[in-house]
Amino acid sequence: MTFALTISPSDLLLLLPEILLTLWLCLILIIDFSFPRLRNEQLAFFSIAGLAATLGCLAWFDIADITGSLFGNMFVLDGMALFFKMFIVGSTILVVLSSIDFIHRFKFFRGEFYFLVVMSALGMMFMASANDLLSVFVALEFSTLGLYVLVSYLREDMASNEAGVKFFILGIFAAALLAYGISLVYGETGKLVFSDMTSAQATPGLAIGFLLIFAALGFKIGAVPFHSWIPDTYHGSPTPVTAFLSIAPKGAAFAILLRMFFVSLATFKPVWILLLVATSILSMTYGNIVAIAQKNMKRLLAYSGIAQIGNVLIGLATGTKMGSDAMLFYLLTYLFANLGAFAVVIAVSEAIGSDEINDYSGLGRRSPFLAFSMLIFLLSLAGVPPLAGFIGKLYIFVAAVKEGLYLLITVGLINVVISMYYYLIVVKKMYVTEPHDRSPLKVSGSIKAVVYVCLAGTLAIGIYPQPVTDWVVSAIMMFSQLADPTASLPVPPAVVPFGG
Amino acid sequence: MTDYTLLYILFAPFVGAIALIFVSNRQAMLVRGIAAGSAFVSLIASLYLFYAYDHVKGGFQFVQKFEWSHQLGISLHLGVDGIGTPLVLASGILLFAGIFVSWHIKDRTKEFYIWLLILAAATIGVFMSLDLFFLFFFYEMSVIPMYLLLGMWGSHTKKYNEMTDPAGLKQRDSVGFIFNFGANSKEYAAMKLVLFLSAFAVAALMGILLIYKFAGLSTFDILVLREQAKLMNIPVLGTTLDKIIWILIFFGFASIAPLWPLHSWSPVGHAAAPAATSMLHAGVLMKLGHFSIIRVAFEILPETTRELMPIAAVLCMFSIVYGGFVAFFAKDTKYVIGYSSSSHMGYVFLGMAALDYISLTGAVMYMFAHAMATGMLFAMAGWVYDQTHTRDIPSLGGLSNRMPFISGCFVIACMASIGVPGTVNFIAEVMIIVGSWNKYPLQVIVAVVGIVLTLAYLFKMMRGLFYGPMDQKYSHAHDAVAVTDRLPLLIMITVSVGFFFFPMHLYNVVRSGVDPLIAKIIRVVPVASQDRETLSVKREAQTSGVPNQPQDVFDHASRDTLHASRGKE
Repeated sequence: MTFALTISPSDLLLLLPEILLTLWLCLILIIDFSFPRLRNEQLAFFSIAGLAATLGCLAWFDIADITGSLFGNMFVLDGMALFFKMFIVGSTILVVLSSIDFIHRFKFFRGEFYFLVVMSALGMMFMASANDLLSVFVALEFSTLGLYVLVSYLREDMASNEAGVKFFILGIFAAALLAYGISLVYGETGKLVFSDMTSAQATPGLAIGFLLIFAALGFKIGAVPFHSWIPDTYHGSPTPVTAFLSIAPKGAAFAILLRMFFVSLATFKPVWILLLVATSILSMTYGNIVAIAQKNMKRLLAYSGIAQIGNVLIGLATGTKMGSDAMLFYLLTYLFANLGAFAVVIAVSEAIGSDEINDYSGLGRRSPFLAFSMLIFLLSLAGVPPLAGFIGKLYIFVAAVKEGLYLLITVGLINVVISMYYYLIVVKKMYVTEPHDRSPLKVSGSIKAVVYVCLAGTLAIGIYPQPVTDWVVSAIMMFSQLADPTASLPVPPAVVPFGG
Repeated sequence: MTDYTLLYILFAPFVGAIALIFVSNRQAMLVRGIAAGSAFVSLIASLYLFYAYDHVKGGFQFVQKFEWSHQLGISLHLGVDGIGTPLVLASGILLFAGIFVSWHIKDRTKEFYIWLLILAAATIGVFMSLDLFFLFFFYEMSVIPMYLLLGMWGSHTKKYNEMTDPAGLKQRDSVGFIFNFGANSKEYAAMKLVLFLSAFAVAALMGILLIYKFAGLSTFDILVLREQAKLMNIPVLGTTLDKIIWILIFFGFASIAPLWPLHSWSPVGHAAAPAATSMLHAGVLMKLGHFSIIRVAFEILPETTRELMPIAAVLCMFSIVYGGFVAFFAKDTKYVIGYSSSSHMGYVFLGMAALDYISLTGAVMYMFAHAMATGMLFAMAGWVYDQTHTRDIPSLGGLSNRMPFISGCFVIACMASIGVPGTVNFIAEVMIIVGSWNKYPLQVIVAVVGIVLTLAYLFKMMRGLFYGPMDQKYSHAHDAVAVTDRLPLLIMITVSVGFFFFPMHLYNVVRSGVDPLIAKIIRVVPVASQDRETLSVKREAQTSGVPNQPQDVFDHASRDTLHASRGKE
C-alpha cells in the first residue's frame, strides 16, 4: 500500500487542532525547562490556554461544518470525531484545572505532569479521528504511553506504583491483543480502513480478530471481562489522573468502537448485539453489586464507572442511530457528573487528607457547598430527575426499547435501583452522620471553578436537554443510514462461527 | 391559553427553593418568610385554579404545552381535569400548612425548607402532567427529598433508641429488613423508602416504555396516547401485552399508594419523618399512586382496567383490615397514624375498583378529604413529639390540661378521619360505600368494619395522649398559642368542615373529571368478543355521543356488572 503524501494547505486545516496542540506541547516543555522558578499554577494556566484555543478551534470547525478525511482515509474529521475531540479537550481542561491543588504532592517533575496530560489528550484526539486499524493502534498506544507514567506519578507511594505496574502490564497485554487482532483482520480481508471492510465475509479468522480488537478496546473502557485493572489503578493513581482516566480515554475508545461496529461490522449486527448485550449486562451488574461493598470513595467511583460503562454499552448494543445519539449524550452527562465528583474528592482529600467514605461524615455541616455538589453529582450518576444523568439513562432506554432489547432494559432498570443504594450511603454519611470534627473545609478557587462548571452542566442538561440532543443528533449524521429501521437490518448474516 | 396559573402553582415553590439558596441560615425569619411566601403564592393560585375550573365544560383546562425534546417526543404538557384540580389544591394547602408546622425547626432551617418546597413542587407537578415522561420525572423527583428530609430531620423509633446493649446494637438495623418490628433508625426508614419506591417506580417506567414502543407514535403525550394507542390483543408470553403493561403500571404506582402488601415502607417512613414531611407524605405523596394509576392505566388502557381492576378490589380489603389492626395495637403515635393512612388508602382503591361514577367520585373526594384529616393528625402528633420528645403512647397521657387547643383540634381531626358527619370525609366515604355496594358487597362490609376499627384506634390513641393521669416530667409541655402554630390546624379544619357544608363545587369538579373516564371504561365493548368492524363502529358512536349523559349508562352498566360479580362470588 502506498500513500500519496501530498498535503495541501486545506488538508492541513483539518489537522489544525492537533498541530496547535502539538506546538503547545513543545512550548510547555520549553517553558518548563527554561524557567525552573515558574510557579505550577502558571504552567497549568498556560496549558489550559492552549487547550482552550484548541477547543475554540474545534468549536469553529463544528459550527462552520469543516469536515474531510486525510491520508487515504486513515484520519477522518466528521461530526462524531469533532464531538469526541471536544469531549476529550473539555475534560482535559477540567482535569488540569482540578490538578492545580493536587500538584504539590508530586516531589519531582511537576512541569512534566502537564506535558504528559496534554500529550495523552493529543493521542486521544487522534483516536477520535482514527478510521484505520493502524492509526487506531498507533494513536491508542501514543495516548496510553502518557497515562502509564501519570498513573505512577506519586513515586514514593506504594499504591501509586502498584497501580502503575498493574496498568502497565495489563495495558501492554491489551496492546498485544490489539496488534494480533489487527493482523488477523488484515490477513482475512486485506484491508485496514474501517469503511472498506463492510463487505467482509464471515470467517473464523475475522471473527477472532475482531473479538481480540474488542477485548483491547474493552480494556480501555473498562467493560466487565476486561475491567480488572480499574479498581486498583483508580485507587492508587493521583486523583486528577484518576479523573482523567475515567473520562477521556473512554470517550476516545467509544469513538473507535462506534466506527468499528457501525461501519465495518454493520452487516453482522445480529451477532455483535449479543456480544454487547452480554458485556453490558455483566458490566452493569458486576459494577453495581461490588460497589456496594466499597469503603473508599475512589474505589466506589471506579466500580460505579464500570456500571456506567455498561449503560453506555446499551446504546451501542441497539445498533441504531438513536442508540449512538443516546451514547454520546450519556457520555456527556457522565463527564460532568464524574469529573465533578472527582473534583469534590480532590477538594476533600486536600482538606482532610483521606478518601475513605467514613471520613466524609458530616460534610454537609463542614462544607455545605462541597456536600451539595457531591449530592448533585452522585444523584446524576444514579439517574435522578431533574439531573442530566436521568435524561441520559432515559434516552438510552428509549433507544433500546425501540429495538426491543427488553432483557437489557430490565437489567438496566434493576441496576438503577441497586446503584441508588450505594450512592445514598455516601449521601447519608455526608448529611446524616455527625462529623467528628466540625471545622469548616477550605476550598480553593480552581476546584470551585471545576465544580461550578460541572454543576452547571449537570443541571442545565437535566432541565433543558434540547440543545445537547440536537448537537449529538447532528454529530452522528454519518450513521443516518441506520436511522431507518428497515435499512439497519440488511441481509441476515451467514452462519458466524463465534456462536454469540 | 394565556393563563399561566399552572406555572405559578408549579414554579413558585421551585423559585422559593432557589431563592433560599442565597439566604444565610442566620436570618431565620427571612428563610421562613421566603418559604411561606412562595407556598402562599402557590396556595392562592391553586385556590384560583379550583374555583376557576369550569366543571360544565370539563376536560383538561389551563393547558400549557412547551416543546421539550422533539427527538424523544417529550413536551412539558400541563393541564388539570376534575381529578387533578382538588389534589393540586390539597397539595397547596398542605405545603402552606407544613411550612408553619415546621416553624420551630432550628437545625439547618434553610435546607429543610428547600427540600420541603422541592418535594411539594414535584408532587404538584405529577398532578398536572399530561405527559408520561413528566409524570414520571416529577414522581421520581419527589422521592429523593424524602430521603434527605427523613435522614436529616427525622427521628429514630423508641425501641431503636432502647437497644443500646451489644446484642441490641447488632440487631438494630438488621432486624426487620422486610418485616418491620418497630425498631428502626431514621436512616433505615429513609433508605427503605427510597429503594422501595424506586424499585417499583422503575417497574412503572418499564410499563411506560412499553406503551411508548408499542403505541408506535414516538410520543409520551397522554392525550395523544389515549386516543390513538392501540395496545390491545398483542400476544406476549402466553398473555397479552396490555395486561403486562397494566400490571407493571398498577403495581409500580400502587407501591406509593400504598396498597397491601406493598405498604411496609410507608409506616416506617411516617414514623421517622418530621411532622411537615409526614403531612405531605401521607396527605399528598401517597395519592400520587392512585392519581398516576387513574391517569395512566385508566386513561390509556380502559379495557384492561375493566378486566383487571378486581385485583385492587381484593387487595384493598387486606389493606383496610390489616392497616386497621396494626394501628390498633401500635404504641407509637406516628405508627398509628401511618397505618391508619395506609388502611384508609384501601377505601380509595375500593372506590377505584368499583369503576362506577359515584364510587370513583367518592374516591377522589376521599383523597382530598383524607389529605386534610391526616395532615391535621400528623401536625398534632408532631406538636406532641416536639413538646414531650416521645411518641410512645403508654408513657403519655393527660396532656389535655397542658394543651387544650391541641386536644380540641385532635377530636375534630379524629372525627374527620373516621368520617363523622360534619367533615367532608363523611361525604366521600358514603359515596364510596354506596357506589361500590352493587359490585363489591363483601368489600363494602369490610370497609364498614374498617370504619369501626378507625374509631377504635383513634379514640384509643386520643385517650392515651390527652386524658388520664399525666406524667410530671411533661409538665413543661405547652399549648399551641402563637398564630403561626395555630394557623395550619385552623386552615385544615376550615377546609375539612367547610367542604362538608358546601361540597357541591368540589363534587361537580370531580364529577366532570370522572364522568368521561368511567364512560370510556364501562362503555367499551370487550375486544375479545368483538370483531374489529363492530368495535370501530362502537368507537365512532362513542366519540360522537356527548359524554355528559351518564345516567342511563350507569344503570345499564351496573346491572351488567352486578350479574358478573355475582357469578364470581
